[in-house]
Amino acid sequence: MLTWSTAAPALSAAFVASIVEVVEAFTIVLAVATFRGWRPAAVGTAAGLASLTGGVLLLGPLLDRVPIHLLQLAIGILLLLFGMSWLRKASLRAAGVIPLHDENAIFAAEAAQLGEAAGRQQMRLDWIAGMTAFKAVVLEGLEVVFIVIAVGAGRGLLLPAGLGALAACVLVLAAGAIVHRPLSRVPENTLKFGVGVMLSAFGVFWTGEGLGVDWPGHDLALLVFAALFLGAGLAASALARKPAMEIAL
Amino acid sequence: MTMLKEIIAEVIGMFMGDARLTLAILAIVAGAAALIKLAGVDPLGAGSLLLVGCLGLLIENVHRSARPAAKP
Repeated sequence: MLTWSTAAPALSAAFVASIVEVVEAFTIVLAVATFRGWRPAAVGTAAGLASLTGGVLLLGPLLDRVPIHLLQLAIGILLLLFGMSWLRKASLRAAGVIPLHDENAIFAAEAAQLGEAAGRQQMRLDWIAGMTAFKAVVLEGLEVVFIVIAVGAGRGLLLPAGLGALAACVLVLAAGAIVHRPLSRVPENTLKFGVGVMLSAFGVFWTGEGLGVDWPGHDLALLVFAALFLGAGLAASALARKPAMEIAL
Repeated sequence: MTMLKEIIAEVIGMFMGDARLTLAILAIVAGAAALIKLAGVDPLGAGSLLLVGCLGLLIENVHRSARPAAKP
């Protein structure tokens, strides 16, 4: 029986992570639409979504054939690699060591690239614009698909995780339709920090379970792990700020 | 073909943002697995080492990554 306390971590992790990725894809699709119109943007987006759906439908049933401990271990390790990588980057960005993600700059760069392509290959511009949208949706969507599978597959939580991702898509598209600009005011690094914390916590939890660890408190251990990773991320960020300040002085 | 390469690079980049971090995580997991499967250590003890190792690794990696970037 699926309970809210079991489903909530998977749903919220997929929702927040998907917001970050969908915002990035939306910026590029919007650049395509602004530069060349909504038709190639919509066709490219639809083709990208269809490719991702096809991949999930093709590979999804294979997950049922993998023994649960092996699946938890494999996904746990991938989540640790993915989550800690996000948390590392978010900590470095929060410390000012690497620059923040700038949706307006990405929008301008994509528009400029399309402009250059237009100068070179006027005849194929719709194709190039459509492929740009397709690529953005597939590349960012791959991360969403991984996150949904990773936080959902180990415990039969694919449905709540999928709903979290779907809600994020709806929210970003609705916001995008209203403002008609890159969603640059989304606090992306804060979201990435939070997602890194959650995915790292899931990673330790499932890697441990895959190795036969019976965590005290079962699912509640996830909250403790998340609190510890949050503390470690904040401490790492504070420490990273220190050497930069020392050298500046 | 270029797009396929980009997709493969993206997938690899998802899990290997920093090679040293990736290798260290894999080493910690392998260590915890060896403790449980080969040395017969209590799984919860090895799991705790896994957790503490990952937390320590994060702090060390971020701190180390900040140093060269901070140089003029």
